[in-house]
Amino acid sequence: MKRLITPACLVVICLLVLAEAGARLFFGQDFSGRFDYGYNPQAGFDEHGDGTVELFRAGGRRFYSQTFQRQRPPGVFRIFTVGDSVPRGPSLKGAYPGLLGQELRRHDIQAESINLAVPGYGARRCHIVLTKALSYDPSLVILHFDDYNKWEDEREWRRSQEFKGWHPRHWLMKVFIFRRLYEAKIEKVFWSLVPEEVRLRYALNDADAQVAAGQDPKEVAARIKLAYDTAVKNVAMVRARGIPVILVTQCRLEEDAQHRLYLTDHGLDALGESLAGPGVYHISMKDVLSGKDIKQIFANFSGHLHKDGHQLLAQAIFEKIEQERAALGLPDPAVAMAGKHPDAKTPGPVAQPAPLKP
Amino acid sequence: MSFISWQYFIFLPLVIICYWLLPVRRRLLLLLAGSYFFYGCWDVRFLALVLATTVIDYNCGLSIAGQKKAGWQVLGFSLLPAAWLLGCFLWLPASQISLSLLVISAAMGLAFFGAHEAIGLFAGDRRPKYYLILSIVFCLAILGFFKYFNFFTDSFKSLVGVIGFTADLPLLKIILPVGISFYTFQSLGYVIDIYRGQSPACADLLTFATFDAFFPQMVSGPIERGKNLIPQLEQGASFRNSHLQDGLCLMLVGFFKKIFVADNCAILANYAFDPKTSLNGYWAVIGVVAFAFQIYSDFAGYTDIARGSAKLLGIDLMENFRFPYFSRTPSEFWGRWHISLSTWFRDYLYIPLGGNRGAKWDTLRNLAIVMLLAGLWHGASWVFVLWGAYHGALLILYRVVPPFDRIMDKKAKNGAWTGRDAAAMLLMFVLTLVGWAIFRSPSVAYLGTWFGALGNWNAAAGLSWESSAIWLMIHILPLILLQVLTWKYRDEASLSQVPWLARGLVYAVMILLIVSSGEQDKEFIYFQF
Repeated sequence: MKRLITPACLVVICLLVLAEAGARLFFGQDFSGRFDYGYNPQAGFDEHGDGTVELFRAGGRRFYSQTFQRQRPPGVFRIFTVGDSVPRGPSLKGAYPGLLGQELRRHDIQAESINLAVPGYGARRCHIVLTKALSYDPSLVILHFDDYNKWEDEREWRRSQEFKGWHPRHWLMKVFIFRRLYEAKIEKVFWSLVPEEVRLRYALNDADAQVAAGQDPKEVAARIKLAYDTAVKNVAMVRARGIPVILVTQCRLEEDAQHRLYLTDHGLDALGESLAGPGVYHISMKDVLSGKDIKQIFANFSGHLHKDGHQLLAQAIFEKIEQERAALGLPDPAVAMAGKHPDAKTPGPVAQPAPLKP
Repeated sequence: MSFISWQYFIFLPLVIICYWLLPVRRRLLLLLAGSYFFYGCWDVRFLALVLATTVIDYNCGLSIAGQKKAGWQVLGFSLLPAAWLLGCFLWLPASQISLSLLVISAAMGLAFFGAHEAIGLFAGDRRPKYYLILSIVFCLAILGFFKYFNFFTDSFKSLVGVIGFTADLPLLKIILPVGISFYTFQSLGYVIDIYRGQSPACADLLTFATFDAFFPQMVSGPIERGKNLIPQLEQGASFRNSHLQDGLCLMLVGFFKKIFVADNCAILANYAFDPKTSLNGYWAVIGVVAFAFQIYSDFAGYTDIARGSAKLLGIDLMENFRFPYFSRTPSEFWGRWHISLSTWFRDYLYIPLGGNRGAKWDTLRNLAIVMLLAGLWHGASWVFVLWGAYHGALLILYRVVPPFDRIMDKKAKNGAWTGRDAAAMLLMFVLTLVGWAIFRSPSVAYLGTWFGALGNWNAAAGLSWESSAIWLMIHILPLILLQVLTWKYRDEASLSQVPWLARGLVYAVMILLIVSSGEQDKEFIYFQF
């Protein structure tokens, strides 16, 4: 009689078990919050015993690796930028949050600019990141608002809810290597090889189904409203803590029927203006970048920017900070210069931002 | 319930565990209940059709064999479908059974009972023949009504329209019951075998009902023969580890074909054969190649899962595919493609028509008739008839027209392949692709679009095709490698001869490829037939 477990079967079991165990053992940190798809408040924030917080890539949250003190050091002007792939930028230093930090430090402001942007995040998931980030006492929050990711938010919300359940449909995909392989194939192979027209016509997976739903004006209107409402909620949440907000509204590069390039804000600037008020400052990407060489600035037909674009945006935000210096609680430049610490690595006596009334 | 569903992954282990714990007689009860549950998951109303086919062929089979049941028993059996519908009507309001349906099913039962008893009383020595005709008429009436009523009505209306008349005939909203062609043919084959004296009648209704509704193969085959399956059900196997190993391996290969190959090729085939698509030569070719691998992997995958599921119960089902795209001639192709159907047509239609025993023209006529009907079996549409006619024409071409007839005569030396074999295989594959283009076309008129696209090689006239061709290759190359690996063992789903380490690696890779295609829950193509 044959043995129940044959050598070939053992090879299969060993290979799969080793791969899964190895993934969980060596990539355990990446695995945390894996099936929350960005809806886990803790994922990506690692609070160490020495009082530092480390940002890492986990649970669908692709932070740039950064470290900062849990308690904001006295005199440090801490900026958190929350948003999607546009503020995340091509690199930590090349994105506008990083460039802004450099610019502020060059002007003797002891600034710490942390990039909390994650690709594909819409207002709903930004809200989760923001909620966590506010516990680290920022001096200023930059909310980069774009309604483009409303579908991703919805899709990942559904996925996270599905994986919370016991349903047998998802048992197989709770195996880390299986799920990773599936997602890698969809994102790296399927999306790159199969033309969009083919995918959208048949809505072949939940991502495509979402995009296909984007062709329904009613659905689009409902999604945009949800994104707007969440953005308003995000601003209100930050202001409730007395923290000033700079709301950067996204613009996109598009092409008309005559192949002329133009910038459009898709109505986001109006939202930004409506929210502007005490402690809430609005910067329109469209205003900042209009009149510039947009081919040089934009990476493609989207909102993604080259370094020149990030530089312009960082400069505009810096100017806004300079302009609102007093309201942001920053000392007068002369005072700051006088109090400048001789050692550049040690934070200087930068004034704490005064809480602002909402 | 589909094989590619989480429900099946709960259902099957439960059935297997209970099956091996029970004595033989109770196993049959379990299998029958499980099969009806499996089928009823689609639509409980259609179980009445399965019951009707079972009752008709059970009674006719026994009567042909001279073991006719008493009249009151036949009456009871005949009313079983109506009783089932009545039960659903009373306790399952969601099944939407109307009173008229109840009346029709009861009337059908009584009609069968009346005809059956009348034959018994009046047919004398010719009773077996009349019982056979009764079985064929009733089974084909059910099949014809549910599958072909609208097709023939619509075609008739079009025909009389052409000659200037108007036929005001109604088209009915009929839902095609899943797998009706498969279980009807299986059941008919059983009765014909009894009539010919090639198989004994099954006296036990439980065994026969299980044979008729055996869940692994009921919906899409293989179309089993009573003499193969009924003895296995009656005897019941003792558990062996090899049942588990072979069954799981077969299922794994089936899932690989269905989920990794078929469903991914379907993406491109669906696009290329969509009338909304702007087609050029590149997309026409990509579409038909994708469909060729989709339909093969879909159906062969189903068969492997069916054979694997049955194997887990200690039951061997017949092989249904044997490297069909490695065929050199049309007759070889039909010996390798959907073997259970082609042998059914051979045994129950081609040979009774005279086969190749008569004059050459009679043989060609018989081939044409069989292939036309085989085409129609696939669905109620003129494209299927045309596809059957095309394959009939190919069979005739390879028999009578030089130099094709020489390919028929050429035998491979010691099974070794020559360059000539490879060329013949390539030619046959191209001819098969043309057949698939006909088969997959949404209408006969669309065929003109597809063939017209072959004259348009302007890449700008359609979507970019290069990356899609890469996608296609990614999904068919592993299948071709698997087939090359198993070619010398003559069973395309069995890797048992491959060294264990290589076999383990192949299985592991297959599992990873399957899961990379994700949580798909797509129906099998052949369910619609």
